[in-house]
Amino acid sequence: MSGRDRLARTLRIARWEVSRSADTLDRTTVVVFLVALLAAGTVVATGAAGGGVAPDRDIYRIGVAPDSAYRAPVEDTAPLRLVAADPGLVASSRAEVVVADGEVVVADSAKGRAALAAFRSAVREHNLALMSAEANRSAAFPVVVDLRYVSRDTGALAGTGAGSGTTTGSGGTDGSGGTDESGGAAGDDGDDGGAFAVPDLGAGTADLFGGGTSGGSPAEISPPFPFASLVLAFAFLVPMNFVVQAYGSTMLEERIGRRGELLLVSPATPGEIVAGKTLPYLGAMVGLVVAVAALVGGGALSVAAVLPIALTFLGATFATAMFARSFKELTFVTVSVSVFLTAYAFVPAIFTNVTPVALISPLTVVVRDLQGGSVSVAEYLFSTGPAYLVGASLFVLGVGVYREEDLFTQRPVPLKLLDALAARIAGRRSAATLAVLSIPFVLLAELLALALLFALPREAALPVLFVVVAGIEEVAKSLHVYAGLHEGPLGDDRTTRGALVLGGLAGLGFFVGEKLFVVIQAVGLTAVPLGEATAATAGVLPVGALLVAPLALHVVTASVSALGAVRGPRGYAAGLAAAVTLHAGYNLAVVTSLG
Amino acid sequence: MLARREIASLRAEKTIVLALLIQLFVAAFSSFLVVGLVSLYDPGSVEGYTVDVGIVGDESSVADLRAAVEETRGLDTRTYDDAAPAREAFDRNELDAVVRAEQTGGRTTVTALVPDSDVRTTVVVVQLRDALRAYERAERAERSEHLSAEPLALPPEGRSSPYYGFTYTVLLPLLLFLPVFIGGSIVVDSVTEERERGTLELLRAAPLSAADIVDGKTLAAAGLAPVQAALWVGLLELNGTSVANLPLVLVLVAALSTVVVTLGAALALVAAERRVAQLSYSLGTLVLFGGTTLHEDGPVGLAARLALGSVGPEATLVVAGYAVAAVAGYAVLRRAVCRVDLG
Repeated sequence: MSGRDRLARTLRIARWEVSRSADTLDRTTVVVFLVALLAAGTVVATGAAGGGVAPDRDIYRIGVAPDSAYRAPVEDTAPLRLVAADPGLVASSRAEVVVADGEVVVADSAKGRAALAAFRSAVREHNLALMSAEANRSAAFPVVVDLRYVSRDTGALAGTGAGSGTTTGSGGTDGSGGTDESGGAAGDDGDDGGAFAVPDLGAGTADLFGGGTSGGSPAEISPPFPFASLVLAFAFLVPMNFVVQAYGSTMLEERIGRRGELLLVSPATPGEIVAGKTLPYLGAMVGLVVAVAALVGGGALSVAAVLPIALTFLGATFATAMFARSFKELTFVTVSVSVFLTAYAFVPAIFTNVTPVALISPLTVVVRDLQGGSVSVAEYLFSTGPAYLVGASLFVLGVGVYREEDLFTQRPVPLKLLDALAARIAGRRSAATLAVLSIPFVLLAELLALALLFALPREAALPVLFVVVAGIEEVAKSLHVYAGLHEGPLGDDRTTRGALVLGGLAGLGFFVGEKLFVVIQAVGLTAVPLGEATAATAGVLPVGALLVAPLALHVVTASVSALGAVRGPRGYAAGLAAAVTLHAGYNLAVVTSLG
Repeated sequence: MLARREIASLRAEKTIVLALLIQLFVAAFSSFLVVGLVSLYDPGSVEGYTVDVGIVGDESSVADLRAAVEETRGLDTRTYDDAAPAREAFDRNELDAVVRAEQTGGRTTVTALVPDSDVRTTVVVVQLRDALRAYERAERAERSEHLSAEPLALPPEGRSSPYYGFTYTVLLPLLLFLPVFIGGSIVVDSVTEERERGTLELLRAAPLSAADIVDGKTLAAAGLAPVQAALWVGLLELNGTSVANLPLVLVLVAALSTVVVTLGAALALVAAERRVAQLSYSLGTLVLFGGTTLHEDGPVGLAARLALGSVGPEATLVVAGYAVAAVAGYAVLRRAVCRVDLG
């Protein structure tokens, strides 16, 4: 079997997939599609003409007399609705704010206060428009603000003559070589405005700063939007959803009515079949990512950063399609995956001041690319590595069950997952290797937990976070052991001795993976202090500190859960609970003693 | 009976649990975002956080600027005689911003340095903007005789929760209409699956009419949305967010749910394959919700106003209109199904 044969078979399957997709587009479908497109076009067109979407239209009712000067700002503001200037309306809760005889009557409720705040900002907007029409500029705008964004770590101190004359011109270079993550709006140049004591302040600075305004009225200052990566996350991931929907459908359809059997009995191996069927969708993803990157102004680096996300998305969908029993299940799991991936891509950007953590998100690389910064190879690998690994492992897991006995049987998703894990276990050594491979998944899950728990008050969030993190890590260390013992080839190890060996191996593997991550981080990234709580809970302790303790912890807890796993599902649950308790206690102790 | 089977199959696959979890996650995630965003844009809402501002410049401007800055919540000032020490303090992270004020040609020029670092920049800029606005107002008042129109006096500052509007205009509609969207998606999956597996024929062999089948499939999905909506509203109430006009809100959700489910069922029956059905369903609903948001009585805005209690009696009529449209649409689907052959 030569490599060329394999490639030819893979490509032939890919061609079939494309032509079959084209065939499903019969006449009715095309009509349905055109109608949907037409409707979408109409809506977009009317939306553009109609002044945009305002879900907060008319939510507060403000009473103003017809001859009052406050009437104009209320009429011009979408959330405010004009009612009669009768203070009685406030009492009967038919208005939130009423301006009568120079008095402002406000309903004594949360809603009343919110309405007052909205009213105040409407009047402020109105004043700005009024002043803009004034002939006497210096009286209308007596204060001119020049706002400068300065990197602190450049050491460019305020020498009086430094940068004289030219500082108001084009943007300074990003002197820090990309360690400052401004998180500003797309297109923000990450400027280092140069020296402070600039004598002349003229025009020409306005285009310097993407997020701020300079040389204007204080009213025109717009703070930089800190979540550029959120916008990017949606721009890239929402269109991906459509590709993934189609991909999931076609994979699951193979399993309905034994349709996939024809291909399975052909000389093509499962790997080739999956590769062939995936290829067209991977191509669509690449096209999509390139198109979106071009739209937002990113280059090859952006494409390279987002592609691993696409790969993970496809991998997760493929694995789901292999596990799911019905389209419904597929839809739900795909939707969850897309929500989680969006969160994963976006959340780390919140910790932009903790650079290594921020870099976990590939979108951080995209933001840098847009800002014209550079990213080293190590940094690229650091931020996209987990996504590549997760995507690849999911495909490997899924291909493992792409065989007749699994493809056409219906089992609950968790059992299918165990099957898939068991298919990858070759012997005791696998207990360690699978634990290493679980690290990117663990990282992903822990970040999500962090995002979810962020909303809780700090005192409550930390203990919960420790328990959740401990839970995630313990499951990662023991699930494959359980699968191997009960569904796979490790049945002989269902003894105390066997459990201890497997648990020890799993703990060791996990420890190695975790430290590998730390080493990559330490070598690849310039030393930046870690966010203490975040890093400690992510299992990333400072290098050199406490190397032995975590190893002991992982080995002990993995052995505890493995001992439970030997005794079946109930025993596994008990063992896991004990391991999680132990682990959470350890985390808590470490963090309290360190901080 | 068929409706019961649908619900049972949902329960068996635990998809309903997953659906609830997704919604909870989306809601938690979006409020997490907003709490973060709002506390950036209104740092006064975060307790115990102050921005330290260093002020330099000529004497009269500094005095006025200082007065304006100190008036603003959450700002502390320090005055420096010279720019250099201020900049050094800024570089040592002792100051969050440095502001220099100078008189130039009848105006005050303010140069502000803020750190180009992270989300904190936004906090600093927002605080500084408030202070500079106050300063501008004071300076403008001094020059009022040169102005042809007097700016309006600002209404008093309301100490309002910045999350208030968001809760009703974004979070609540999201919680109300996400179950609606998911319900339609369930119907698409359920109908296409019966078609692909060929089990729709089996159902036909049972003593069920085509209309019965459609009823069963759609009622199960359409009924879930109002139940979930009521659950979310209950949770919001526990959280201290009261929802006015609850019956009307629930009727609105039920009506929309029926519309969307009807759309889903129709697409699933027309389209040849699940891929196409799901795709056109997602696009169709996006268009439906996106498009109606532009309209004054669109469901999103209407739900927000209903929940806030900012509506008059005419809102009942609008909701009734939605309900009538939903029932009519469903009736059309039923009739059409009876005519065409299923399967």
